[in-house]
Amino acid sequence: MIRIVHILNQFFAGVGGEEKADIAVAIVGGAVGAARGLQVQLAERGEVVGTIYFGDNYFHEHKDDATAAILAELEKLRPDVVVAGPAFNAGRYGLACVEICHTVSERLGLRCVTGMEAENPGVSVYRDYHDDKIFLLPTAETASGMARALTAMAPFACRLADGEEIGPAGAEGYLPRGIRRLVRVDRTGADRAIDMLLAKVAGKPFATEIPMEVWDRVEPAAPVADAAAANLAVICTGGVVPWGNPDGFKTYRNTFWRKYNFAELKTLEPGKWEAVHGGYNVAFMNQNPHYGMPLDALRALEADGRIGRGKLYPAYYVIPGNQGSPAVMRRVGQEISADLKKDGVDGVLLVAT
Amino acid sequence: MALISAMYPVAEQVGASRIVKAVAIPHPCGDPNLPAELDGQLRREIVSTALKALEAKVDRTTVFTPKVGADG
Repeated sequence: MIRIVHILNQFFAGVGGEEKADIAVAIVGGAVGAARGLQVQLAERGEVVGTIYFGDNYFHEHKDDATAAILAELEKLRPDVVVAGPAFNAGRYGLACVEICHTVSERLGLRCVTGMEAENPGVSVYRDYHDDKIFLLPTAETASGMARALTAMAPFACRLADGEEIGPAGAEGYLPRGIRRLVRVDRTGADRAIDMLLAKVAGKPFATEIPMEVWDRVEPAAPVADAAAANLAVICTGGVVPWGNPDGFKTYRNTFWRKYNFAELKTLEPGKWEAVHGGYNVAFMNQNPHYGMPLDALRALEADGRIGRGKLYPAYYVIPGNQGSPAVMRRVGQEISADLKKDGVDGVLLVAT
Repeated sequence: MALISAMYPVAEQVGASRIVKAVAIPHPCGDPNLPAELDGQLRREIVSTALKALEAKVDRTTVFTPKVGADG
């Protein structure tokens, strides 16, 4: 019987929500939480011999410790294959799945299957790794797609455990990893290229053999000579907004930005501001909005002369960054940049959660 | 631009130019476990590091670490 270990976050392990996002790595023998669903799909072919879980924040804030703890448990459990996810649109968990799979692949030489929505930030990291032992299956955006995701992931995991050769991404249904393999074909490259060209000219579909990676490469901007003499502005993606959220930001997938004036303020008083964001526990920021929009520190540095008098832009920009689609975020970034340039801002501090 | 983030490895992976290590995802600029005064000092150090990052010439992804330490 195939031995499988399932890697989950605190939420999918059924331990708790944001209030448990700081829990350390834990291991349970057998299947708990979403791993039970995986076990159902595996039926007699495989056994979930252990479920490893951790808090979403814990993993990213203690990555080395978390990874070491997970590796130690896996060495004891000796699985044939590791399953991480599905993470759907959960960014922290999706990133953790890919990081863990990559470590497992490198350190233990095991093949892994993970699953998440194609727009999850974990996907771009997966593409960057080009790791031929990780297979990422696309899933629905939300956990309503759980049964379907596990139905695909379970047999895939069994095939990996059996050492089966897995075909190209397009044929097997996992997301491309940017790996090119040598294969023998009957027709030369010149013939194939001409076929593609003729298809293109005729407006017919064709599949390129060398897809271009589309990555923004942003050259670092020139430094500001002296921050004290520069016009500075602050952008906050943690979602600190005036109490009551007057512009109706959502906790996820926002499509617009706002700026809020603080020219007359020395501090952001708790109770007058709140954090709107579905991707982390906002309790700390509601108690002290400066964790996301550090106005008190900016005023102190102004008093010290480290920031010039009248040089701090009188408003801060905000968009809660949770689950933003890259295309929308690119547009928002361009709009904010245009606004900053129009007002002569030289340097920007972006506080992200 | 200087990016203040607790998820700085992700910021590195996507190629941000100037990255400042923050404390934690739910409270990047400060640490609620510290007494208020130290918390305020830590926040000033983080923002101050971001100002230094703006003044630094960089030609690739560069991480700046506040002196107090990202663990508070």
